[in-house]
Amino acid sequence: MNLSLVDPFVLAQDCPEALTGRLRSGHSTSIRFSHRGDLLASGRLDGIVVIFDIETNGVARKLRGHTRQVQSLSWSADDRYLLSASQDWKCVLWDLKDGSRVRTVRFEAPIFIAELHPKNHLLFVAAIFEDQPVLVDISSEIPVKRTLPSAPRRSQVERENASEKQAAQDAKQTSTVTVFTPSGEHVLAGTNKGWMNIIDTATRQVQYSTRLTNNLIIFIRTTASGRDIVVNSSDRIIRTLHLPDLTDPKVDFENMRLEVEHKFQDVVNRLSWNHVSFSSTGEYVTASTWMNHDIYVWERGHGSLVKILEGPKEELSVVEWHPHRPFVAAVGVDSGRVYLWSILTPQRWSALAPDFVEVEENVEYVEREDEFDIQPIEEIHKRRLDLEDEEVDVLTIEPVKAEFEPGEFRMPVLLDIEASDSEDEVIAIGAGQFRRKSPGQGRDWMNDNEAVASGDEQKKATANGTARAQNGTKRRRAE
Amino acid sequence: MEDSAEPSPKRRRSEDGYEESPPRRRQISRSPSNVSPQYRLAERPAHHGYSRADGADDSEDALDHRFYRDRRSTESPSPSELHARRSLTPPLPEKPTQLHYRQKLVLKGHKKGISAVKFSPDGRWIASCSADATIKIWDSRTGKLEHTLEGHLAGVSTISWSPDSKILASGSDDKSIRLWDVATGQAHPVPLLGHHNYIYSLAFSPKGNMLVSGSYDEAVFLWDLRAAKVMRSLPAHSDPVGGVDFVRDGTLIVSCASDGLIRVWDTATGQCLRTLVHEDNAPVTSVCFSPNGKYILAWTLDSCIRLWNYVEGKGRCVKTYQGHTNNKYSISGAFGVYGCPPCQYAFVASGSEDKTIVLWDVSSKNVMQRLEGHTGVVLGVDTHPTQAIIVSGGADRTVRIWRSDEDMQHQQPIEPEPLITDA
Repeated sequence: MNLSLVDPFVLAQDCPEALTGRLRSGHSTSIRFSHRGDLLASGRLDGIVVIFDIETNGVARKLRGHTRQVQSLSWSADDRYLLSASQDWKCVLWDLKDGSRVRTVRFEAPIFIAELHPKNHLLFVAAIFEDQPVLVDISSEIPVKRTLPSAPRRSQVERENASEKQAAQDAKQTSTVTVFTPSGEHVLAGTNKGWMNIIDTATRQVQYSTRLTNNLIIFIRTTASGRDIVVNSSDRIIRTLHLPDLTDPKVDFENMRLEVEHKFQDVVNRLSWNHVSFSSTGEYVTASTWMNHDIYVWERGHGSLVKILEGPKEELSVVEWHPHRPFVAAVGVDSGRVYLWSILTPQRWSALAPDFVEVEENVEYVEREDEFDIQPIEEIHKRRLDLEDEEVDVLTIEPVKAEFEPGEFRMPVLLDIEASDSEDEVIAIGAGQFRRKSPGQGRDWMNDNEAVASGDEQKKATANGTARAQNGTKRRRAE
Repeated sequence: MEDSAEPSPKRRRSEDGYEESPPRRRQISRSPSNVSPQYRLAERPAHHGYSRADGADDSEDALDHRFYRDRRSTESPSPSELHARRSLTPPLPEKPTQLHYRQKLVLKGHKKGISAVKFSPDGRWIASCSADATIKIWDSRTGKLEHTLEGHLAGVSTISWSPDSKILASGSDDKSIRLWDVATGQAHPVPLLGHHNYIYSLAFSPKGNMLVSGSYDEAVFLWDLRAAKVMRSLPAHSDPVGGVDFVRDGTLIVSCASDGLIRVWDTATGQCLRTLVHEDNAPVTSVCFSPNGKYILAWTLDSCIRLWNYVEGKGRCVKTYQGHTNNKYSISGAFGVYGCPPCQYAFVASGSEDKTIVLWDVSSKNVMQRLEGHTGVVLGVDTHPTQAIIVSGGADRTVRIWRSDEDMQHQQPIEPEPLITDA
């Protein structure tokens, strides 16, 4: 509701311009915005998943269950469930209502990426290291893994003429990235040989394949509409492609040809890109650079570089764009901090008093005809009150886009969140004495009794509320 | 009963209260409190209000009413009205000119004056806070006392419910804000500390993750509730902050102060987006957003309540509600709804220093009902989120529940006679 009052020039800006904030809780390795954009999930080096509240820049929840670095995160459409994939070869589906683990799925190899189905939070697709990607159905306690193909689809002619060598090579291909299209009807998979496959989710057959590059495909991301994708590959080129509407039943995969729309690269420095992401509208493409401190932002209309976001003195890994706002978050590789870029809004002087007006140049004051007339004060009051005859509607609520609806899931606000300080974790070891928590410590208890669900942990936290709170007071005093 | 008329002393804007602070130019230039007759003159003719029932001013009243309806048909009607007109074209339901609230329950238990009463967002509970440093939670249906929350060291001036009705925040003259678990009646172990003086006003953000507080120390703080820390301090005012509120989607905060200013803030950036001030600069003691968030309602110590359109132009006062007395105390109130669902109208309910509760129609500014029963100043009034129930509390140490007679038809009646609940 603030939009009608905000400076229109500020609203017109759609690209962040300056470093405006930092979030910190442990060493973050991967981040993802929720669909509504009020929460940011951050996976840490020690396996803990932290949910940041973007409004308060504080920690809203901590999810414990992984023992190693978190590799990828994916939110369900209603923002209630979160899927995390970790280097401990596990994927966990979390229920943010109570912070419990809904499902834990183990794999035989490290996971590159795990993405939730956009409409069904009990289905996800995962790309696995040196193995075929799997579609995992977790609607029952025991997960059902179904293998998806990685070999590109060949036409009849190609198949007949295929040499044995080529067939063997095709069979050896593995997928390095798998993502759902926004409809969930298809999976986009990138292979280690530079092919992109469009796989039907229902039949698990490759419907279309195209070779984008000769190198490995690192990452694929679609826009919210699903009509545009951005592909990062190890040949140091970011490609954007325009997809046909895949949900259209008439789409002809046999005769479809995908053209690369733009190729973004740094020809001079031959930079390679850590991570890519679309802006909220898909108008911009942003990427973090390998061995470099900058975030590049390209505009897709002309394919030109429009901005380089600077600030942190370290390499940045995952970069994410807020789902609605000109707001970019990126993770520092060395410190594990999350850096935030957004628009600077200067205070407008005219807002501070009703008779202030911001003018470009001096304006001659023109006196009103009756400005200094002396009139009985009662008369003025009466006249003013009589003028107040309009109909006012204080009840009708205008529907606003991207607004919070009453029936939607909203994450409960935990007041007892243990160590809700988003800064370094400090523990009290005696009266007035503190030390920083050593990095490996969070992991120890987890290995001891891994079976403890984090739901139980929350209960314990409430039971010990008083004692903990005392620590909390001390901690604050120490700061 | 002299002491009963004295609530938390800090909520009283008495003359000596101003003398404490060094006299400032602005205060001298401000019209002295005895000029209020000028507003009486400006008041609409007394044909409105409860005196209408005897039919003395019927002709004039009817004229006024017709004029009101004609104009409505020429101006662009709101969607709900359009809908109402289309569905019920031939007999356009008469807009009620009166409300029929009756006192149903009197809840006693507080040992000193009550400064605020609030329905929980789910309508199940009533919370009341008092100068006796306690907060009481009552069942809104039966009036049964559920909890007495004790822990504050001085009078409690303000309370606010979390959107899930599970947590109650309270601000006290002991400079602390406390959070209470309503289910258990226990205080959250970590109070919110930071204000340097009495806390006057509190409001939860719609998501329940933030709290805004206004204090006598002239500051407005935005709190991160999870961390129990001040997130942002709004350099708001140069006089004690009387009221604060969040808009329904949480993107705006409104604050008001005795300096006569009402400021609208952007929650995300902490910047002032709008300042509303009335010519007379009367101290603003309480403020709230309309249910749809498009208007701001502000109580001032010149016995006026003003409805501001803060979006249009530089902000414009669209309605002035008069007929109550408010020169001294920080009185608050709420918006309410009357009429049947297809054509609902809004009213404003407020306490008054003449021991009544006054209900105005939002658009016509006519007094629709005066509720009499309190034996002291009525300081806090709130309306039930879904039903036609009003709760009020005041300096006479009682909480009173009022129900509309129309509402009784589809609500099962509880005790027909006013019941005295002693705690």
